[in-house]
Amino acid sequence: MTEYVNNPALWHRIQFAFTITYHYLFPQLTMGLAWFIVFWKWKALRTAEPRYEQAARFWTRIFGLNFALGVVTGLPMEFQFGTNWASFSRFSGNIIGQTLAMEGMFAFFLESALIGALIWGEKRLGPRAHFIASVGVATGSWLSGFFILVTNAFMQRPVGYALAPDGTLTLSSLSAYLGNQWAWIQFSHNQCAALVTGSFAITALGAFYTLRGVHAEQAKMYLRAGTIVGLAASVAVAFPTGDAQAKLVGEFQPVTLAAMEGRFESATHADVVLIGQPNVKEQRLDNPIALPGGLSFLAYGKFDSYVRGLNEFPRDTWPDNIELLYYAFHIMITLGTLFILLMAYANWQRWRGRLESHRGLLWVLLLAFPFPYIATSLGWMTSELGRQPWLIYGLLRTSDGYSKVVSDGDVVFTLIGFVALYFVLGLLFLYLVVREIFHGPREGAHA
Amino acid sequence: MVLVWYGIVAFMLSTYIVLDGRNFGVGMVQWLVARERAERRQVVAAIGPMWLWHEVWLVSSGGVLFVAFPRLLASAFSGYYLAMFLIVWSAILRGISIEVGGHVDDGMWQSFWDAVLFLSSVLLAVLFGAALGNVIRGVPLHEDGTFHMAFFTNFKPYGDVGLLDWYTVSVALFSVLALAAHGATYLAQKTEGPVHDRAARLSRQLWTLALPAFLLVSFLTWRVRPELLGGLTGRPLAWLGILFCTGCAGALAYALHRRQEQRAFVSATVLLQGIVVTGAIALYPVMLWSTLDRGDTLTADKVSAPHQSLVTATVWWPLAAVLAVVYCSSIVRFYRGKVGPSRDGQGLY
Repeated sequence: MTEYVNNPALWHRIQFAFTITYHYLFPQLTMGLAWFIVFWKWKALRTAEPRYEQAARFWTRIFGLNFALGVVTGLPMEFQFGTNWASFSRFSGNIIGQTLAMEGMFAFFLESALIGALIWGEKRLGPRAHFIASVGVATGSWLSGFFILVTNAFMQRPVGYALAPDGTLTLSSLSAYLGNQWAWIQFSHNQCAALVTGSFAITALGAFYTLRGVHAEQAKMYLRAGTIVGLAASVAVAFPTGDAQAKLVGEFQPVTLAAMEGRFESATHADVVLIGQPNVKEQRLDNPIALPGGLSFLAYGKFDSYVRGLNEFPRDTWPDNIELLYYAFHIMITLGTLFILLMAYANWQRWRGRLESHRGLLWVLLLAFPFPYIATSLGWMTSELGRQPWLIYGLLRTSDGYSKVVSDGDVVFTLIGFVALYFVLGLLFLYLVVREIFHGPREGAHA
Repeated sequence: MVLVWYGIVAFMLSTYIVLDGRNFGVGMVQWLVARERAERRQVVAAIGPMWLWHEVWLVSSGGVLFVAFPRLLASAFSGYYLAMFLIVWSAILRGISIEVGGHVDDGMWQSFWDAVLFLSSVLLAVLFGAALGNVIRGVPLHEDGTFHMAFFTNFKPYGDVGLLDWYTVSVALFSVLALAAHGATYLAQKTEGPVHDRAARLSRQLWTLALPAFLLVSFLTWRVRPELLGGLTGRPLAWLGILFCTGCAGALAYALHRRQEQRAFVSATVLLQGIVVTGAIALYPVMLWSTLDRGDTLTADKVSAPHQSLVTATVWWPLAAVLAVVYCSSIVRFYRGKVGPSRDGQGLY
């Protein structure tokens, strides 16, 4: 931990980590819910059954609030590239700027023009145009996720660049940059996780209404849609997308993989650790419970694959917070496994027709909704802590990327400002959403 | 290539200023044109479904600046560090106040968010005005292309300047006045009932004040940055810009006089954008003056991205721009017509 205290970029990192983690609480639900709303609006168009329209309207209200919070907390992210990471922007702005500009031009214009129509214009637009607006918003939100992940993937595994004479980077191939394998795999993994968040939220509300004995017809729809998508998405997060992601880390960031697993010694038939506490000072894992050969198999496909431990790498390329990285990764994996089990059990009970009467299970489904948020946040911590000490892997160190002209005092000031403002925004959001939930889906009311 | 991208940035930023400027203006004059709760909702509903894509012009301008002039973005954003975050926080509060103000049908709730809307709108108009003033006046740029600036030093626009001095403050005040006039003009053509009558009266009054204020600010600009005058007089394109702005101002005055509200609003929009673009033409190729040493001034060539990156961006940008215009114009078309005082048709705003 001592490296942390002496790290000149420390406050910049804390501020970025805080604002991005908080921000991402909202877009993941936006991206997860969007296609449910599209689905219900489509069913409403096809069948003219009022229950679909009612569900779409209700979730659009939640969606709108969530979207608004996502927009306003997203704005600081765009600014912070310039304000806090000026050296990084000078070094690689003409590359990562491409996707940031594309996000604005291709995704945000689409989303922002149509979200107003979605929230305000049901009467004015008529059902068909309103349905198209919902498709546009959903597409826009996924597109924006894609462009951001291409940007992040460049930082994880830089491709399509060349070194300019003045020592900065320049883009040599847009197609290589956009086609970055890391981006596509991370995008699939991330979008499946967003669907997990969305389906758990919908399931939880269905469980809540069922337990209270209100809105029975709606609750049944939510439980059905939520558990089906929830199971499919939970499985897809782990396999194939999570598996492919881990293999990428093994291939391009082997030192990160070693740190994620708390492995100090290289070995063939490397164990995968289920529980254990990394002890960086003594370079070992305390109290490990491990599956023999598991890591070799998961990372490289064969039980006798050679897995390199941290000791094979120079100390100054180790991620600088191995403990946090290790726990983030392991808790994420544990939660992901529990999600699959829970959703499989819920689907089985639903198939037997017992889900609505199984109060114990409904309680678990209700209380489960925060955990996908925790899992996604931990996943991003794994990704970003694992990238350290690099800002752009192998090209620019985080300690060289921050704004030299900005004093720590300035950053601490703005960090405090963000903490205070976001605390209030969080209260406001919870109040408004809880209020909508208690109002419930209303019959016949126009949004 | 650099010139093309200078033009694109100028076009996008000026578009942002006129589009979102009207929302700042509406936020600022809300309490002047709306007396009752229902009228205030009507005012918010007049911008509710639209403000977001206006703000996206800012985000996208930032993205384009990032691609084309990464060094300028890095220097300016880190140099204006605290001011940037004041803008961000005000923008957050402004967005939230529009989105949640109508969610709860309660007088105190709505008054609170209307007050937040007013304060954040004023702050945004002041900050963007001061930022414009800073671009014209220049900042204490060092040899390595960075600067770090206090909020205020001795309030003089020379040498070791701060964010605020008598020049940038006057530009900020002018920006408040002009955007308030712009917002009132927008409300006059978008609303019905008593709000409309008050907005129409207010827009005539504010524009009457704005003209002499503009002349005064122009005079101050000439004192602070005489080079701009050279840029204006030496370029045929700038002459065209001046001619165009004069025409727009004439059209605005005529439309206001004849109570043609739609035309007045269009003229006001084009006029404001024309002024900003003409200023950009006069500035070129300077992007940020140095108040310390003329040699450290950041020009477009000095801060632009490598040629290859600009060419790449030129491939996809036109397509994206066409799509953006399609989305924006369809929502404008959907949203045409007037906003009445009844809650019906105001959606959740």
